[in-house]
This record gives sequence, C-alpha cells and structure tokens, in this order.
Amino acid sequence: MQVFKAMMKIMRKRLPSAMIYIIVFVVISILVTNASTKDNKFEVTKLNICVFDEDDTPESRALTEFIGKTNDIDEIENDRDAIIDALYYKRVNYALIINKGYAEKLAAGDTADLFGSYHIDENYSVVYIGQFLDEYTTSVKAYLAMGKTVDEAISCTEKALSQHTDVDMLRVDKGGNSHYSVDFAGYFQYMPYILIAAVFIVICQVLVTMNKKDIRYRTNCSCMNSSKYTTQLILGSGLFVVSVWLLLIIIGAVLNKEMYAGRAWYAVLNSFIFSLVVTAMAVFVASFEPKENVLNIITQVLSIGMSFLCGIFIPMEVLSDKVLSVARFLPAYWYVKANNMIADIEPFSRGDVLLCFIVEAGFVLMLIMLTLLVRKVKYSGAAIANTAKKAAVSH
Amino acid sequence: MFMHILKYELKGGLRSKDLIIWLILFPIILGTVFKVGFGSIYEKTEKFNSIPVAVVEESENKAFRQVIENIESADEPFITASFTDKANAEKLLDDGDVEGIIFSGEKLSLTVKEKGLRETMLKSFVEQYSVREKIAKDAFETAPEKAQEVIETLTAETVSSCREIPVTQGNPDVYAQYFYNLIAMVAIFGSITGMTVTSRRQADLSALGARSCCSPVPKSISVLASLASSFILQTICMTVCVTFLAFVLKVDFGDRLWLVYPTAIFGGILGVSFGFLVGSFARVSEKVKTAILMTTSMLLCFFSGLMMGNMKAIVAEKAPWFNNINPVAVISDCFYCLNIYEDYDRYFTKLITMAVITVLFITLGIVFSRRKKYASI
Amino acid sequence: MNTVVKIKDLVKRYGDLIALDHLNLEIEQGEIFGLLGPNGSGKTTTINCLLSLLSFDKGDIEIFGKEMTPVSYDIKKDIGVIMQNVAVFDELTVYENIDYFCGLYINDKEKRKQCVDDAIKFVGLEDFRKFYPKKLSGGLLRRLNIACGIAHKPKLIILDEPTVAVDPQSRNRILEGIQELNKNGATVIYTSHYMEEVEQICTRISIMDKGKKVAEGTKDELKRMIKNTETIIIEILELPDKAYSEIASLPHVYDSRFENGKLSVYCSGGKHNLTRVLDVLQKNELGFGRVYTELPTLNDVFLEITGTALRDKED
Repeated sequence: MQVFKAMMKIMRKRLPSAMIYIIVFVVISILVTNASTKDNKFEVTKLNICVFDEDDTPESRALTEFIGKTNDIDEIENDRDAIIDALYYKRVNYALIINKGYAEKLAAGDTADLFGSYHIDENYSVVYIGQFLDEYTTSVKAYLAMGKTVDEAISCTEKALSQHTDVDMLRVDKGGNSHYSVDFAGYFQYMPYILIAAVFIVICQVLVTMNKKDIRYRTNCSCMNSSKYTTQLILGSGLFVVSVWLLLIIIGAVLNKEMYAGRAWYAVLNSFIFSLVVTAMAVFVASFEPKENVLNIITQVLSIGMSFLCGIFIPMEVLSDKVLSVARFLPAYWYVKANNMIADIEPFSRGDVLLCFIVEAGFVLMLIMLTLLVRKVKYSGAAIANTAKKAAVSH
Repeated sequence: MFMHILKYELKGGLRSKDLIIWLILFPIILGTVFKVGFGSIYEKTEKFNSIPVAVVEESENKAFRQVIENIESADEPFITASFTDKANAEKLLDDGDVEGIIFSGEKLSLTVKEKGLRETMLKSFVEQYSVREKIAKDAFETAPEKAQEVIETLTAETVSSCREIPVTQGNPDVYAQYFYNLIAMVAIFGSITGMTVTSRRQADLSALGARSCCSPVPKSISVLASLASSFILQTICMTVCVTFLAFVLKVDFGDRLWLVYPTAIFGGILGVSFGFLVGSFARVSEKVKTAILMTTSMLLCFFSGLMMGNMKAIVAEKAPWFNNINPVAVISDCFYCLNIYEDYDRYFTKLITMAVITVLFITLGIVFSRRKKYASI
Repeated sequence: MNTVVKIKDLVKRYGDLIALDHLNLEIEQGEIFGLLGPNGSGKTTTINCLLSLLSFDKGDIEIFGKEMTPVSYDIKKDIGVIMQNVAVFDELTVYENIDYFCGLYINDKEKRKQCVDDAIKFVGLEDFRKFYPKKLSGGLLRRLNIACGIAHKPKLIILDEPTVAVDPQSRNRILEGIQELNKNGATVIYTSHYMEEVEQICTRISIMDKGKKVAEGTKDELKRMIKNTETIIIEILELPDKAYSEIASLPHVYDSRFENGKLSVYCSGGKHNLTRVLDVLQKNELGFGRVYTELPTLNDVFLEITGTALRDKED
C-alpha cells in the first residue's frame, strides 16, 4: 500500500487549495438550490407586469388594479434602458403603457390604440397580455353597447372575466414525494457539477504529480506491476472523492432540514455511484499527464459541457431529443435521469432507476479499463526503452 | 529592451502550445455544446408558437367547434387543435405532443400536465369562451333589444387595442447571453497566462525570476513587456473565439459585430490583468494562487449567469452594484449592450468600467510585485 | 589593486535561524574568489544578498565601490550571474536563450550576435544551437546556463555551484572556462562544496560554516594554518606496542593510529619524517607493505577549524 500512503500524504499537502475549490462550489450549489423552485400543483402563472399609466384616470387605475389581481405589478423606472434590461432578463414579462385619453376613448367605444407596450420579441407573454387587453376592452365595449355606464361596464367586465374554469392536472395522484421534494432534488441535480469541477481537479493534480516522469520511472523499476499500481491510485482517489461526497451528503441533509428517508436514499446512492464515475474519470484524464494550466481548462470544459448537455444547468425537458441522444453517451445524463425519476419529475420506476445506476457503474468499469490500457501502453518498459532510444539519438 | 523581451516572451508563449491550444479549443467545444444544447430552446420555450391542444367532445358543442375553426384559420393561430377521444388525448398529453386537453360539453374544462404560461394561456382561452357566453347572457337579460349589437361587438374583427413599440433591433434570444458569458469566461481565463508573467518575473517564485532580477533591466519594463506579450496571446484567443462563435456557430451578436471584436479583446486584457494581480500576491503558493484564480473566475462567471441564465437578473435586483464591478458581468454586459441598445451610452460606460478595472489590476499588481528585495527565495 | 566587492558585517536571519552572522568579505579585482562550505553554510544566501535579491538585517554591500541596491542598474550591467538552479526558458532554443539574456544587457544587435556566438563557442554548444533545453543532458544544460550568464562579457562573474550534478568532462570544461574568463580580465566569485574544484582554480578562498567565515586566504595560506603538514600511511601486519610508542614519540609526530593493519602517522612540519618512521620499523625488524603519504587538503583545514568534516555534511 505504499503508493496509496504516498498519495494520502500528497493530498494532505494539497488540502488548502482543495478546500478553496470545494467551499466555493458548495456555496454555488446552495445558491442554485435556493434560486430554483418547482412544484407539482397547477396554479396560474403570474406574470410580472409593469404599467406606465399616462392617462391616470379612475378607469385606467381600475384596469391596473384588475391586472394586478392575477399578475404581479412591478414598479420600474420609466427609462428606456431599464425597461429593456427588465424585459430581456425576464424580470418583467410585459411593459404596458396606458395611453393618454384611454378613459375617453373607452367611453366612446373606440378600442384602437388604447395601449402601447414595449416590445422585444413575440413571446408568449406578449400574446397572452395582448389577448387579455383585447378581451377586456371588447367586453367593456359590449357592456357599453348594452347601455350601461362606464363604471357599470367595467365592473361587469371584471365580474365576467373573473370566472374560473377548474383545471385538472393529468395524473395529479403521482403527487410529490414527501421524502424527496422537487426543490431538494435541485441540490442533487447540481452535485455532478461540483464533483467534477472541484473534486476532479484536486484528484487530477495529485495524480499528475504521482505520474511525473522521474517518479514513474522509479516506480516502474520497483517490483510492483502496473495494474496493481493503478489500482492503488484509483483506491486513493476514490477514498478522497468519497469523503468529499460524504461531506456533500451531510450538507444536503442540513439544507433539507431532515435526515434522508424513503426514496431520498436512492438519490444518495445515485450520487455515490456518480462520485465513483468522477474518480474513474479523474484517473483516466490524469494518465495523459496534462499540464496544470491545461488541466484547469479541461476540467471546465468537462464540467460545464457535461452540465449543459446532460440537463444539470438547464432542465432536461427543454433539451432537444437530438441533444439527449448524444448525452446518452455521458455518465451525467444517467445521473440526472435517475434523479428526475426519484424526484417524480419523470415517472418513477424502480427498475428504470436501477438501470441508470447500472449504466453509471458501467461507465466506471469502462473508464478503469481504458485507464489500465492507456497506462500499460504509455508506461510499459517498451515505451521507456523507446523514449531512451530517442533521447540517445538526439544527443 | 521592451521589444527584445516582448519578442522572446511571444516566441515562448506561442511555443508552449498546450495552453494556447486549449484556450482556443475550450470556447470552441463549449460554444458547440451551447449551440447544440440551446439550439431550439428559444424557439421552443420563449418565442410564441401556436399551442397544440387536444379537444375531446363529450357532447355536441357546435359553437365551440366553430370558434376553434375560426381561430385555426388565422395566419398565426393561437392554438392548433386536434379532435380526438379521451384515451388518445391523454396519451398525446403525456407524450408532450399537446399542452392540454379541452373537454367540450355543457361546460368547458381543461386538463394539463405541467404548470406554465402556455397552460395559463389555455386556461384563459377556455375562460374567454365562458366570458363571452356570460356577456351574451347578460345582454339578453338586461337589454335584449341590443343583444344583436352586443354580439356583433364581440365577434367583430377589431384592431388590436395595443400597439407594440419595438425597443431594440438586436437579437432578443435570452440564451444568447450564455454565449456572451462564454466569451467573458474565455477572457477571464486569460488570467492563467497573466499569472505566469509574475511567476517569471519574481525572484522568490522561480529561478528565471531570480535571474531576471539580476539583469540591468528595470522591473517595470520587463513586467510590462511580459504583460504585453500575454495581451497579444490572449487577443489571438479572443479573436478566434469570437470568429468561431459568429461565423461557424452563427451566433447572432446583433448588427455591430465589428465592435464585438475589440470588446472581446479588451475583455481578454482585463482577464490577463486579473491573473497578473493574483499572481503578484506575496506569500501564497502557486497551487493556492491557481485555486484562487480558478474559483474566483468560476464564482464571477456564476454571478454573471454562466450556469444559470437568470442569475444576473437576481444580482441586479439584490445587489446591483455587484454587476458593475464583477469583471465577467461587465464584459458580458458589453456584448448585451451592443446587441440590444441602439445608442452607445451604456456600452461606453461598461467599456470605461472595464478600462478602470484593468488599470486598477495592473497598478495593484505592479505595486505588489514592486518590492525589490525578498525575505527569502 | 581595486576592491570589486566589499561586504561588511552582513547579518541575515530567517526567523530564529541566523543564516549569515556578521560576514565580512573583500574581493579584489582579477581574483577567482572561492566561497567554500558545506550545504547550508550560507554561500547562496551571501550571493543572493550580494545581488540585492534578498533583504538582510544588517550590513553594507558595495560593488565596484558603489552601494548595491535593487535599482543599481549600472552595477548590474557589469555583473554576470550563473544561478544554482538552471534559469532558462524551456520554450526557447539554446541560441534564443543566450540571445535573450544577452539582450538584457546589450542593445546593439550586431554586437550582441557576436557575443552570443562567442558564448556558444566558449561553452562548446556549437552543435546544439537549435536544441530546446529539455533535450539537453544535465552537463550541457549547465553549460547553457553559464553561457546565458557570461555572454555579455561582464567584469564580475558570480557562479553559484555551477557544477552540481555535472559529469567530470563537462566539469573540467567549465573550470577551464572560468580560468580563461579570469585571464581575460573578469573577477570571479565561485561557490562550491567541492574542495577539489576550489583548490584547482581559486586564487583566494574563504571557508564558511554556519553563516560565519571561518578562514580565508590562498590555499597554501590556509593549509599553513593547520598543524598537519603530512600524513604517513604504512600497511603493516603487526606492530608491537614498543615500536608503536617509539614512533609516536618521534619529533614532529603529533598523533598516530594503528588500525586494521594500517599505521597512520600525523606529522606537523619538519623534514624527513618518513625516513625516521621507516628507520624505527627497520630497527624493530618489522616487514611492511605499501607506504604512502598524504598532503593536507582543504577538508583537513575545515575539519580542524570546525571539528566536523566538510564531506560529512554533503547530501
């Protein structure tokens, strides 16, 4: 176990920089978890709407109030740039201007050009509110046509528009899972990103040190065979990854304010298997001996790339089938898929979840075999002889 | 002397191929991933498209069928309906082929699978039908003699009450900001090259540093020359990056692409200066410096919205000052300004912010690394 | 003669450790000045203080009669430095590396080219101009390091253990080169823990231990400082106590030892010591094998002054 021991010593040395990575990424995942909420009950989506009431009459105020009943009215500075920002970043879904003369025109039954709206693109909110406004004014006009006063027309319209149709959710019975809420699933959903971005880089750095030419040549001279050596490296890395994983699981329990129970254990198991995948990935990448700077970039490519392709950063539902069919060849895809099933975002089926676990484990095996192969080819005696020959020729 | 050092720093930088290649490859790979991943999201989720629904007729409702057919005959219909039976409709809904099922009978009812704006729109559509029913009923009750007129009002083709005022000519795709952030991330990764500048110039960091401290070249000149070489290398990376995104992946940067290039290059210079600053911190090992550099970069990228698109908006709400000093956010905002705003005020403000941050980083870096003698080597 | 380097009362502490303890050195023009001492004795610290790389707690340093500071560019212009750790760019070729460092001192391109070519010839790297440092063997790399330091033809050359891990062939070439540079007018400061090298080339030597200068002088002066002038070793099978005490009491013999069939007689001054010892053996009719004498080395000097052998402290 000499290799293993040496690795532990190197890791202890690297602990300060490792902690920086881990703390930062844990902070990120906590922020992310808090920023995203989903739940399974149907409720009307409230839009954020800002209203610039240039008419400022009882009628226009009534309209604003009525819009506010089903939506959130946001105050925004009446500044073109501020409005654009708010619209672009969806802080506000709709920017409505009630034009001057709204009350008069409405009383006269003229519905053209009552409003203006700042417009960035033809999105759903624009269509939705546009329809709503038309509906509102048409209704008022209809009531006016019945001979009602403006006030009456408005109140009748509000009454008419306030009717509710019940909406059924398909398969509402699937419900949430009390032990593993969709909110909490977000924490686990981000875990592969932390594991790759933070843990991967630490492990790789240590492994690259262990793989340095001089040290490797020396090790190759000893009586240890290369697979045994690699096995110990994997063991050492695995131990480190698993301890970080344990830390993440504990933080998870704290965030969730309860101990894991019921279905949540599936999620714990899922993340454990994925941490093994990360270990195997790290050992594999390290066997190519990347320079430290390059390693940093490779890590970013792997972690961010995989996170986007496999539905960690953006939900799987919105990814196209083409993307998903490519993502199938990446381990994180199976992790997220299992996590979605456990959280009931996709229908839960024990068999399918287990299948995901098996596929992840398959990635571990495949990566380990590839690593052994690479190391055999790269570091075997023949390779050393070749390098030596080349060096001799060049002198 | 400046040119002499610059020349060799450039030669060395270009020959240490790994880093340059990866700095170039990295936005190419991630850019492609983004392009593939987001390919149709904007079209699918943001931009308005007809909403597919299934209609199950539980009993004859001619009027409703009439309404649907009317709607569908429009150019860009609000919904596209397929009439079917309940079992099939549920299957369609479960597979995601339709957004909801409208059961038309005595009363209309709606079944959906998810909650969201499109479902809300379907709900309001169904309600709209009952609203009209109610108005018609009211009309017959209160003023039957005018009922005909009222119904005409309701069904008449009216001009939209709302006039849309377009505020930008740019690309409204909110997902484009992931590309802005990607460019900003490549820029901030220039910090890796920036950090090597200090380690090569400081006696306590490397043998080369000690050696160059013994030469009769003032440190400020040799440091500036090395920085200049890093700037040039980073400029190459940024140029390749923007070119790839704009011309190969065809990312829409708005109509001022010629300004996107210099902006990206300035961003790269900012990134290099950032690395230079962190590199000049005394008494911190290279490993820890790298860790600081990488994690700070990632945090800044995170707050700028690289991992979650709406992060920048959240920051803008909770701590707006942070978006003005977060270098990554400032860089990506520049691209946003170029894309969305027609005037240059905000763009110039952002550019000036970038320049101020860059100068600050370089000055601080030089101040920190100015100490001429070292306590230990 | 002009004093090139003057170090006065130099004190350098690393925390509680006193690395240099009131060190005084004066180096004259035209000397090859050797700083000899075991690892950790403060040689490199002295050099780094001299070059104004390290801050020190007390003392004055003058080079060419002027105070040395980090911004003394006019002084630095005339110094050539060869660091203990090889300081070259991995990404630049042999020629480019030398040109780079030379270019830090000489602006004129024509002149620089000549200097670089001279330096390459001087260290014998003509066949390796286009090689990258990674492809060079340890000895060649050291030679490149030296070429980078001397290409601009400095007046003062400081070499900090330039021969560590170098094969004998390269080492001889380096040593001869240093002597040649000295002949061409450069003053040389040379640190090493190999006393043979220092003995071979240095005109004056300072021995350091634990941050202090323990002895200074030419090598003959140093050797005269100690009482041992000659050690006689005789291989002998048997030595009766009588004969042994007879030898021990001979004039000029200050110590003797008989172990493993080997008689060592330590003499201090005097002449014909060997004849006298052999006379005693013959008188006692004792047969003996090989006879040889050893002259004192700097190691003996060091041993006698500090009580520990120089070699013991080597890594």
